[in-house]
Amino acid sequence: MGSWRADDVTAMNNLLDAYSKVAPDVEIDFKPTNPADYNTTLRLQLDSATGPDLMYARSYAPGIELFESGYFADCSDIEGLSNFTESNKAPWMTSDGKMFAIPFAAVSHAVYYNKDLFKKANVNVPNTWEEFLTVCAKLQSSGTTPLSNGLADEWDILETFFFGALPNYVGGASQRVKYESGELKLNDANFVKAYTAMKDVAKYCPNGFESVTYNDSQALFATGKAAMFIDGSWTVGTYGEATFDWGVFAIPAPKGNKTAICFHPDMAITMNTTTEYPAEAKAFLSWLCTVEGATTASKYLPAGFFPMINVPISIELKQANEFLALNNGKETDARFVWPLLLDLYSPMDQAVIKVMKGAITPTQAANDVQKAYDNLDL
Amino acid sequence: MKLKKQNKHLSVEPSGWYWILYILPALLIYTTFMAFPLLDSIRLSLYTGNTDATREFIAFGNFKKLFTDETLSIRYGGAFLHTVIFFLINMIIQNGLGILFAVIITTKTMKARSFYQTVIFVPTTFAVLVTGYLWKLLLNPVWSGDALTKLGLGFLSQPWLGSTQTALVVVSLISCWQWMGIPTMMFVAALKNIPQDCLEVAAIEGASAWQTFTKIKLPLIKPVIGMVTILTFVNNFNAFDIIFATETVNGAPNYATDLLGTLFYRTGIAGEHPVAIADPGLGAAIATITFIVLLIGVIPVLKLTRGDN
Repeated sequence: MGSWRADDVTAMNNLLDAYSKVAPDVEIDFKPTNPADYNTTLRLQLDSATGPDLMYARSYAPGIELFESGYFADCSDIEGLSNFTESNKAPWMTSDGKMFAIPFAAVSHAVYYNKDLFKKANVNVPNTWEEFLTVCAKLQSSGTTPLSNGLADEWDILETFFFGALPNYVGGASQRVKYESGELKLNDANFVKAYTAMKDVAKYCPNGFESVTYNDSQALFATGKAAMFIDGSWTVGTYGEATFDWGVFAIPAPKGNKTAICFHPDMAITMNTTTEYPAEAKAFLSWLCTVEGATTASKYLPAGFFPMINVPISIELKQANEFLALNNGKETDARFVWPLLLDLYSPMDQAVIKVMKGAITPTQAANDVQKAYDNLDL
Repeated sequence: MKLKKQNKHLSVEPSGWYWILYILPALLIYTTFMAFPLLDSIRLSLYTGNTDATREFIAFGNFKKLFTDETLSIRYGGAFLHTVIFFLINMIIQNGLGILFAVIITTKTMKARSFYQTVIFVPTTFAVLVTGYLWKLLLNPVWSGDALTKLGLGFLSQPWLGSTQTALVVVSLISCWQWMGIPTMMFVAALKNIPQDCLEVAAIEGASAWQTFTKIKLPLIKPVIGMVTILTFVNNFNAFDIIFATETVNGAPNYATDLLGTLFYRTGIAGEHPVAIADPGLGAAIATITFIVLLIGVIPVLKLTRGDN
């Protein structure tokens, strides 16, 4: 099995061991590559007919591309797909409704917070963005850095923070589609408000946040130097040894808007069209769609990667459970640009960074991105 | 006639094509590992598509795209300009200090010579990733701010690597700091080769230190200056590692430190995050232009500084 999760070798081997009890004749090797090289490596392998039998599939465009090249098998007829909701199937579905992979795990985005520091500064979990800023101000005046987020690595501020907060401003999938089609403009009031939020929050980031990397941010939060860190659920397992009490809360929406969650479909598993063992591969994929399979998978999946199946599943780690519970009763959506507008990733990233540095105004930022959208040939 | 023939037999020069055997191993290695990949990458720059199946000949399409595509041309122009600035800073600071230190080290009255030589040379033995990591911590207010403030140097606690105004200059200076030892050593070796009597005569004639330097030392080490210039030029135009280590392959912040090397890596090898699908043809086009620039740049430097002694 090919994968980009080089960190998950142990976890996946445990999962595959568990599967070998279900199907004793089948042996599956987990052979991940360096995350950044996965797309390139997989393509090379598939082109030279040395591709794996089973493999992780990226959501949306990069996945569809491999399906259309004839490498990913059509999984539409796999039993148990009905256990997934339409919105969880969508990332691995072509426009004509064919499934090219089995949804496996999603990641979420939220605010990690240090409960001890919150108590010390006498603040509570905020319910609105306005309250959030007040909490930041209070933490700052108590001598703590409110937020540990930085800009140096460029991807994290966009993917975890901006995309994490964006559904609060523009709404969920039903609204996103309107932006994709051009019905709504990427420089409308909602977007300007979202960029303004980024501008407002910049002063609560660490001193010199322009050169704070993702690892720095993690270290600042883990050592209690910063009270909050807006990050993805994939790090929820990292703070297990933290000496302070911590939890997560949803990035709050501004007053008048409903808080929504960026619950991003991340991993799916599919099979090679030219595999020598089509029946066995298919059996494995079907197993993942069963309650038993999904429960086993979630047991072994690293903390912070959530099963996407539509049945109640319990997770051992307390905070990971909290993370998943944030979804309850809220609208969720993928990261804004992933479904159709990946070409806007860099323009939006640059816009967010410039706004936070004060180099451009939120309105300019929104206009820049809209201009980039106008230049796309969709 | 007879005599001549005898002479020919006695000659140590082998007749025929024997000589080719002597250069054959080098020629084979050179063609297989240098010339062939180079020519093949030039060929690749005329194609599009990232697999054999989808590869298509598009003549100069990649080059045209590089200069006319709205985003790409801005990126390429930026990367080219940054590379030139990066090279100039290295050329002036790194090599200028190299000559200065070499002259000081080789001065007769200098003490603890080998100590200074070692100190200057040590950074070149560090892995670039280590250098980048260390400087990233040192130049980060989050980690070094408190220490600097205690030393009364609080004004130095700035996000040097995170500001578009300072990032490129600071990264260039880090590169200078790391590699200064190489030109210093080369200049020391060259200066030591200057005949002592020349310098003694100059001293007797009453030449000042500055006169000795400009009239005797500098002209005599000119070929070495040429070599160092070429090495700096070639290495800096191919630079990638220091940016990778300090500023990510995107040339953060806001592409302010994007060099030809990082742009090439993003387009030709890794692809842009998060899609990460590379366009080898386009990458090869960037590499080909860099190759031509280097070729054109090296010739005049060689001409100007080749020893006409």
